[in-house]
Amino acid sequence: MNRALYAAATGMAAQQQTLDVVADNLANADVTGFKRATATFASLGGDLGTAPAGVRRLFEQGKLEKSGGPFDVAIEGEGFFSVERDGRRAYTRAGAFARASDGALRDAEGWRLDGVRIPADATALDVGADGRVFVTLANRARQEAGRIRLATFAAPERLRTAGSARFAATNESGRARLVTPGAEHGPKLVFGALERANVSIVESMMAILSAQRAYEANAKGVQAADEMQRIANNLHRG
Amino acid sequence: MDGIELMAGAMHAAQARLDVSAANLSNLSSAGFQRRIAHATLGERGLSVSSSIDRTQGPLERTGRVFDLATVGGTLFVRDAHGNAIPVRSASLTLDANGALLDERGRALLGASGALRASAGATIDAQGVVRDAGNVTGRLRLTPGTSVESGFLERSNVDAVHEMVDVLSAQRAFETAQKALSAIDEARAKDVNDVVRVKA
Repeated sequence: MNRALYAAATGMAAQQQTLDVVADNLANADVTGFKRATATFASLGGDLGTAPAGVRRLFEQGKLEKSGGPFDVAIEGEGFFSVERDGRRAYTRAGAFARASDGALRDAEGWRLDGVRIPADATALDVGADGRVFVTLANRARQEAGRIRLATFAAPERLRTAGSARFAATNESGRARLVTPGAEHGPKLVFGALERANVSIVESMMAILSAQRAYEANAKGVQAADEMQRIANNLHRG
Repeated sequence: MDGIELMAGAMHAAQARLDVSAANLSNLSSAGFQRRIAHATLGERGLSVSSSIDRTQGPLERTGRVFDLATVGGTLFVRDAHGNAIPVRSASLTLDANGALLDERGRALLGASGALRASAGATIDAQGVVRDAGNVTGRLRLTPGTSVESGFLERSNVDAVHEMVDVLSAQRAFETAQKALSAIDEARAKDVNDVVRVKA
């Protein structure tokens, strides 16, 4: 039984998984509202090596960036936009919406934002920090066109990933609770801005380098264990 | 104990040292892991290897998650499946739908009195006081004199370079013992063959 060989192999697999997760973060570094993930590991005890303890998504706030879209809105604080498509519900922090032909606000993939309907003759839009949406009509009249409420969860980290920046509720996350933005201590809406992915390129690069070094170290362990086994096997020839 | 047994024991010992180093290396990324140190002792039955745990504090890494907790000077406690309070130095906790904070193995974080409840917007200060929107909602169970670092995890205390040196040294020790074993074996073979030839 060559325990070192197997322990070192679990170490190589762990670093490989770390690289996979970091690569996915980097690939989505320009996706609005993307939340980075991190792989965690725990010891198997004794000389047995390590095992994955799950991939965790980190919902820390991304940087808000001024944007030029017709109906871009970002969340400052916790919560998600509640969106729907083909009867399926999802939650996202990507607020790049546009007026669709049916008057609803939809994102580029057709997901509809709850609670807002834009009249056909609207010429301008704005959103207050409290989520109220106003439109300016062709005749310069201003009217309210709905209100954006945000979905919050008891355990947001237990949401299921359903697309690069969309999430779905699970039993572990709890059901969505709708809150009105703009309250003290609560989330706020920022009109004319989008939330960038919370991926730091520099930190990702550092993570890649350190995973690569750790992979090499474990590969050396595999090599040493293999070499020693070879020597032991050759003992017989004297 | 003859030379061949002694050298075989030395090869076993080198293998045991490699097992320890390989397990340490594989846990370079396991948060809170504490490395084991191999000790070789030469006794009447040859070389034997035992190991102990190196309790030095690993470096604290900033993660920015409120529910990643590291401790300095003591421990916090989680409750395992049997209801026992287990001391831990660092824990990456997630909320479940009931507001309990669970670590990677599903063990609940303990408060000063029973399980702790928190919400997604909670903060935890250095004394282990949990606040939600400014109001105190609980307190962590801690050993006296412990300070809590929220947003940090204790990294593994394995030093890759150190372990690599151990791997190489175990490998060389194994080779040396094997060479010596072969030399003894050859010498004996010669003895036996020569004796046989003289008699013939």
